[in-house]
Order: sequence, then C-alpha cells, then structure tokens
Amino acid sequence: MNWYVPSDLEEALLLRETYGEDATVHAGGTFLGILMNQGLIAPAGLLSLGKVAELRNVAVVDGELRLGAMVTHREVERHPQVRAGWPMLPRAFHAVASPRVRTVATIGGVLADADYASDPPAALSALGARAVLRGPRGERTVSIEDLILGYYTTCIEPDELLVEVGVPAAGDAVYRKFTTRSSEDRPCVTVAAAVAPDRRVSVVVGACSERLQRFDDLCAVDAAELRDGGCRAEIAEGYGARIRAISDVRGSAGYRRRVCAVEVRRALEELSP
Amino acid sequence: VTVDPRARGAVRYSVDADMPGELHGALVRSTVAHGVVRSIDVSALHRDVAVLLPEDVADLPPYGCQIADQPVLAGERVRFVGEPVAALAAPTAAAARAAAQAVVVEYEELPAVLDVLEAVGEDAPLLHPNVAVSASDAAYFGIRPVAGTNICHRFRIRHGDVEAGFAEADVVAEATYRTPSAAHAAMEPHTSVARFTDAGRLEVITGTQTPFNVRMELAALFGLDEEDVRVVAPAMGGSFGAKTFMRQEPVVAALARKVGRPVKLVLDRGEEFVTLNRHPSVVQVRLGATGDGDLVAKAVSCWADTGAYADCGPGVAQKMGFAAPGPYRIPNCWVDAHAVYTNAPPNGAFRGYGQMQSIWASERAMDALAAKLDMSPLRLRRRNVIGDGDGYATGETMHDTCFEELLERVAAAVDYEREPRGKGLALMMKGMQTPSRAAIAIEREGDGYVVRCATTEMGQGARRSLALLAAEQLDCAPEQVRVPDPDTDRVPYDTRTTSSRSTYMMGRALVMACQALREDGQRGFGSISNDGGLDPDTGQGVASTHWHQAAAAAWLDVDDETGVLDLHRLHCAVYAGRVVNEPGAALQNEGSMSMGLGTALFEAIDFNEGQVTNANLSDYNLPTAEDVAALTHELVEREGAAVHGLGETALPPVPPAIGNALASHGIELDELPMVPERILEAIDRRGGADATPRDRRAEVPRT
Repeated sequence: MNWYVPSDLEEALLLRETYGEDATVHAGGTFLGILMNQGLIAPAGLLSLGKVAELRNVAVVDGELRLGAMVTHREVERHPQVRAGWPMLPRAFHAVASPRVRTVATIGGVLADADYASDPPAALSALGARAVLRGPRGERTVSIEDLILGYYTTCIEPDELLVEVGVPAAGDAVYRKFTTRSSEDRPCVTVAAAVAPDRRVSVVVGACSERLQRFDDLCAVDAAELRDGGCRAEIAEGYGARIRAISDVRGSAGYRRRVCAVEVRRALEELSP
Repeated sequence: VTVDPRARGAVRYSVDADMPGELHGALVRSTVAHGVVRSIDVSALHRDVAVLLPEDVADLPPYGCQIADQPVLAGERVRFVGEPVAALAAPTAAAARAAAQAVVVEYEELPAVLDVLEAVGEDAPLLHPNVAVSASDAAYFGIRPVAGTNICHRFRIRHGDVEAGFAEADVVAEATYRTPSAAHAAMEPHTSVARFTDAGRLEVITGTQTPFNVRMELAALFGLDEEDVRVVAPAMGGSFGAKTFMRQEPVVAALARKVGRPVKLVLDRGEEFVTLNRHPSVVQVRLGATGDGDLVAKAVSCWADTGAYADCGPGVAQKMGFAAPGPYRIPNCWVDAHAVYTNAPPNGAFRGYGQMQSIWASERAMDALAAKLDMSPLRLRRRNVIGDGDGYATGETMHDTCFEELLERVAAAVDYEREPRGKGLALMMKGMQTPSRAAIAIEREGDGYVVRCATTEMGQGARRSLALLAAEQLDCAPEQVRVPDPDTDRVPYDTRTTSSRSTYMMGRALVMACQALREDGQRGFGSISNDGGLDPDTGQGVASTHWHQAAAAAWLDVDDETGVLDLHRLHCAVYAGRVVNEPGAALQNEGSMSMGLGTALFEAIDFNEGQVTNANLSDYNLPTAEDVAALTHELVEREGAAVHGLGETALPPVPPAIGNALASHGIELDELPMVPERILEAIDRRGGADATPRDRRAEVPRT
C-alpha cells in the first residue's frame, strides 16, 4: 500500500488531484481503520493529512468560526473561542464515542465519512455551517445537508479535499443525542435545534436515515413563539410524522419516528424554556 | 509498590506464543446455514499456501466433549454459517487470510432450522440422525438424547406430585421467558499454535480453560496416548467460558500434521461470533401457591438452543434444569430441560452456565406470582426461601445456605420495604461442577516455592489467589510463590478451570499440599474430589456439594415517552464464605455485574437466515464505564465458613432484578435484552388486559 504524507496543503491538493480515489484520504483514522480492519475497503493507497498544519487552524474571522478539517473533536470540545461563541458544538462533539477516539477523530473526517449514525453533522447543520471544498477548479462551499448525499456518500469530487468548516455566529442552540444501548453507542436519533441571530429557527434530525433531515416550513415561526407549548408540540409532531427512518440495531423505524417527536419537543423546550 | 504484571505488560498471553518455523492458519467458512458442499475449488491459491481439505481429515473421528458430533472440517454437510470447510497455512497471517478469500466453495442449500422450538417440531430437519455420547470425561452425567429428534439431551426433575400440587394452589402464575444468543467478547480472541514433534508427540500451546480436556480429546482424535499430547495453557486475555473444551485446537493440529510444521491460528473478531456463543433459551414456568403465599408446585420446561454441535449444551441444559426450582422450598416440582440442535453456531459455556436463562424466568415468575397474590415480592421470597436443613427439589439437604441474609441485604441496600416501587429483587443459586477432582503439587525453588497445577489464568486472578493461599500456609511473601503456565507434562490432573470451582477446590488441595511440603521439607502434593451427581431421569441425587449464592436489587425509573431506563442503583450481595483475595473477589463481582447489565439491557447476537449480522463491537454493544456507575456490591463472609467460588455468581440475578423493577412500574417484559423499544411496547400494554405479552410462538410440546 502506498502511503502519501504531504507536509503542506498545496502538496496535499496536488497528491489528491494526482491519485484521486486511488489514495483514500486519511484524517484521524478512527472510521477508516474500522472499515479496513473489517475488510470492507482495501485502499491501494492512503493520503494522510496528519502533517498539514494549515488544516489544524481554529480562528474566528468576521464573526464566523473557521475550523480546519484536521481539527480534532477534542479541540472543538476544549477550544475557548468555540466554547464561548458556539457552546453547542463542544457538547455535540463531546457526545462522540470515548476520549481516546475524540483525541484523534477530526471534524473533516466525520463529515467526509458521511456515516449516518454520527453526532456532529446535525449539530453543524443546525448552526448553518458550510463546508469548504478545494480542488483544481478552485474553491466552493456547500451546506452540510448538501455535502452528505447518502450512506458514506458526499458531493466531494475525487480531486477535491474538504479543507475547512465555517460556522456563522450562533444564537441559542441545543444538541440532544438519543442512544438506546451503552453510553458510548452511536446515536439512534439526534436532534439539533438553534435560533440564529436573525431569529430563524432550525431543527435538524440526524441518525434516522442516510441524510440529515430538516423541515424548515414547520420551523417557520418567530423564535418567541417557541415559548408556547402548543407551538413546540406542533413542530415536534410534524417532525415525527414526516421523518423518514430506517431500522437498525439501535431501533426500528417506527420507534425512531416516535422518539424523534419526543426529542424534537424536548430540544425545543431546552432551547426556549 | 507492586505493579500488576498486566499493567506492566509482563504477561505473556496465549496469542503471544510462537513456535520456531511456524506457518499461519486461516479458515474457509460456510456461507450457508445448512447445506451440502458440492465442491471446493482451491485452484487460485499460490503454491506457498498449504490447504487442508475434508479428505485430509477423513481419518479423524467426530469429537465433542459431551456428544461426539463435530468434524474437524465439515465434510459433505455444513450445519451453520461460519462452519470451517477448509483450512489454509501460509507464511504470514495476512497471506493465509487472503488465500481463504480465494477459495471458492459451492453449496446446495438445505432447509435450515433457526429457532429452538421449531427445531423440536415435527417438520424440522434432523441435524444429527445418530447422536453418539462422547467418551470424554465431560460426558459424565447420563446424557439422554431423544432418538429421531434434535434433542441431544433431556434432563428431568421429578419431585413430589406436581399436578396434585397445582390442585392445592389457590393462585398460579404462568409465563414463557426468552433470552437471546450473546457473545463472550473476551479481549483476546481464540488462538492456538501446534506441532507434531519428530518423536510423534503433539504439542499445543493454546488459550484454554480446560487443558486436560483438550489433551484427552486431541489424543482420542489423533489416536495417540494421552501422554503423547502436551497442552500448555498460557494466560488468556479473557474467556468467560468461550475457551472451554476443544475449539480451534483440532483444526490447527490437523493443519500442522498436514504441513509437517508448526501452525498458529488467531481468530479475528468476526470469527469470534461464530465460534462459541451463549445458549438462546425459552423457559416456560408454571408456579403455584396457596393464598397465604406458600409455594406448592412448580413446573418448568427449559429449551436450550445449543446450535449445530452440542459442545457442552447437555451440561448447560442440565444446570438450567436443576437451577429452575430456585432457592425455595417447593414440595412438588417437575422440570424438563432440553439441549436442542439448530443451525446456529455452537453455543456453550458462558459465565453463569445456564443459570442466567433459568433465573431470568423463575425470578420473573416469582414477581408475577406475588402480583397475583397481591403480596410484596420481598415477603413472598422471605416466606419460601430455602435454608439449612431444608430439602431441595433434587432431594439433597441444603447446608451452608445464606439466601435469607443475601435477600435482606440487597433489600436494605435499596430501602425496599419503605418504597418498593421502581425496585426489583432476585435471588440465585448455582451449582458447582459435581463430581470433580483437583490436584496440585508445590515444591521448594530457591528461596521460594513453585506451584504446579492446571488452574488457568484468564484474568480472574487465579494465580494471585493460589500464591496468596500458599503464602498464608507457608508463612512467606506471595511474591516468593511462582505459579507458571499449566503444562500437562508437568502438572497433576484437574477437571477444569470452570464452574467457579478453582479457589474452592484447588484452594483446598493446595492447603493439603502445603501441609505435605512442611512434613517433607521439599515437596508436597494434595488432591481433593467432590462426589455426587443426579439421576438424569428423576433429577434426584446431589446436584452440587457447594452452592454459589447471590441476590440482586435494582432501583430505577423509566422515561415513559421513550422507554429509556434510568438506573439509580444496582446492588449485588454474593456469599463468599471466606474471601481469599479481596481485590480479586471485588473485581469478579464488578465484572459479573457489568456482564449482567449488558445481558439485561442491550446485548444480543442478531441473525439473518442464520448469519450473524452484528459480528463486531460497534453493532454488538458492550457496557462501558459510564454505564456501570450505579453498580455496587458486597461480599458476605461468615466466621469459619469455607471459601466459596464467585467467578460468575453476581451475573445471573442482574437481569431479573431489573426486570422485576420494571414490573413494579407495571412494565412487564418476558424477553431479553430489555432495550428501550421493548420497554416502550410494554408501557403501551401497561394496565391492559394483556399486560404480559402472549407467547408469540407455537404451543410448546411437553415430553
């Protein structure tokens, strides 16, 4: 197996362009390692981003949080600026697996893996985050919902790298992870709810099917209305009725829909007590 | 400061063992649950890969510790998904595994049976037309196959007149309880390395709890004298019953014979899920009492799904059966326990050895009966709990009992009497291997001693306990006592390191050996046996010379909207008699309770047409540190009491204690694991006419 270890972003992009799908991108390796150990994939090469310092930056630019693709879950959890301005993100990233995993797992990795049973995607989506993709045709940005297209499938082209995640200034936001087995289990249902600074309400449900789900028409209320139990219940029931859900080891489709309604209501209660 | 050798990385585990010049093995496994092998195409293999095919092992008879039913490689017939059909040896493990992928096997599928009750139905395919009881010493208890059926052992207890008993009963509770298959999930997988020496001896280094059973069975398999088989059993990175009797040893030895070189095989995690699992079970209980709450009759049918090969399933079914009465005085008690073949991977010994399945049913039934009597579950147990001098359903007179005290302790731990709501209790009794033998030798070595015995180390701290006991007897430091890996060439015979018997049996033999050494000056030998056994047709006799005893109490709340359970406390009290190694004993309790918690709440192997669908530790979930925060336990000692084994004792009472706590909220569950979805379904049923789920399967035959 070929192991490519670029030392800067320019070299990384060049290697990506050269090898494309012949060199699977390796970030933290927590997910890739499982797939390889189980024999589900056998990459001809690996493109490791471990030495690309530019991808490890955390900065706030014009009120937007910029997280390099190689920023670890643990860094998101602990970074003072993230904690101060986007406190829901540390809570969502803290919900992932165990400290040993979070110390190496990256934000770019968890988005590019597009595993439906993950915590960060819904949280980032509810905050209106965008993923920055760079390749030979330049740079483009996509929303998190548009990034993840299906099971383990993203819109990232074989010559592109996910280099950064931008999160706009946030208002109040909550993240709820619902598990049915051990405390380190992957989620059965996740709900992220946020009130943006412009008072727009977002509710994003993850882990129920191959893509994130949000029903903005149900959330087209003034944030102040969320203080009303009837309004919250209406949104919650709407999500429960419309959500598409799969059955897996963590719960059946019917159970997920039922829990989804409960968890959306609880998220809104937490958001606006 | 003494640092645990495990923490220092100083332990050489079974997987670390190598032999010079070894090749690495891999197995080609069946992809169908039941079928005929039409062809095995090995033409794609590289020439440095050696292959072992069914014709290479045609001279080897079927083996098995209780029923001689298992071939080294499936010949014409495969009976479960994952059954080895061919084996390969290559210079590296990776090359062997890659080669296994290149072998093409064609099957003609046959109808498979994947449910224990369907397997005893009239139309079920017969998996083993001729069931031959094994010559191994593990087949000691009168195995009763039922000819022309998939039942490979039937055990009965006939105590009193059960129908007359039910006629006396004012109240009868009746229900069917189920448990699924589960994985032992030891950190270290199954592993062996084997060679035939120039002198024709077979030498095997293997992770096993049963070195002498492996020696005996390998000798029989290869037509050798037992003295010409040497089994060395290094420390295991966990076992929990998974490494009892023969697992991968026969195929590794057969590969070594074929290639004329040592061969090592290490299974991967996925293979662990098709190697040996816990028996899924169906247990039907009928329990009757007078209006005052005196138990008068109990009838139990146990159905243990032993998978495609019996392994020790007959023994597990028998222990399920003789635990089924529970630690209560019941004048009329009939039990029918069965080990049944299906097309699942083999099921065998698993921490608790059938007691968990049996006690899940009988302790849930106690609370169902209490509800019908409108009596506190604590009072019902107090009124009927067995004590010293009472007769058990096997006819034996109980001695050294502690059930009443254990019950009171766990009830007090959750303040049960003040507020029983949200709380559940369970009692459990478990027999120890009876009859069995243990022997041990101890010799002077430098300024200390060396202990020679077959007790294996699997993380339970057996070596530490032996060193502590010897040091106490010989008035020296535990560090002066060396306990090397068991080696059948060098240690005296011992039945096996199972059944939580080692500290009790080997400990007493060691005391004798130390006394002999003090007299001799250089060396001492001690041996001990316990005698007894049951008539398999009546269940009368001595089930156990020594009962393992425990109680558990759970206190919890439930989220009525999601079915998620909030465990405030789970407490176990275990009768230890006398504690030898306090930290080791505490760890055994904690480990048993953690496994009990996983069993209760989320562990189950899932199958699709006989194939395991969650053969990894992400989809098969185990408890983690945060899950066990509410667990507490205590070891109950008594002045002058004997040492009691406690390796498994705290596991079985955990699921029914939690189930009974749910029942106190009106949430009735009859099947494990109690995942939130099942709890929510039970909440939906709550208070209805049918709060207890109806048996969803066919009416069960009674033999």
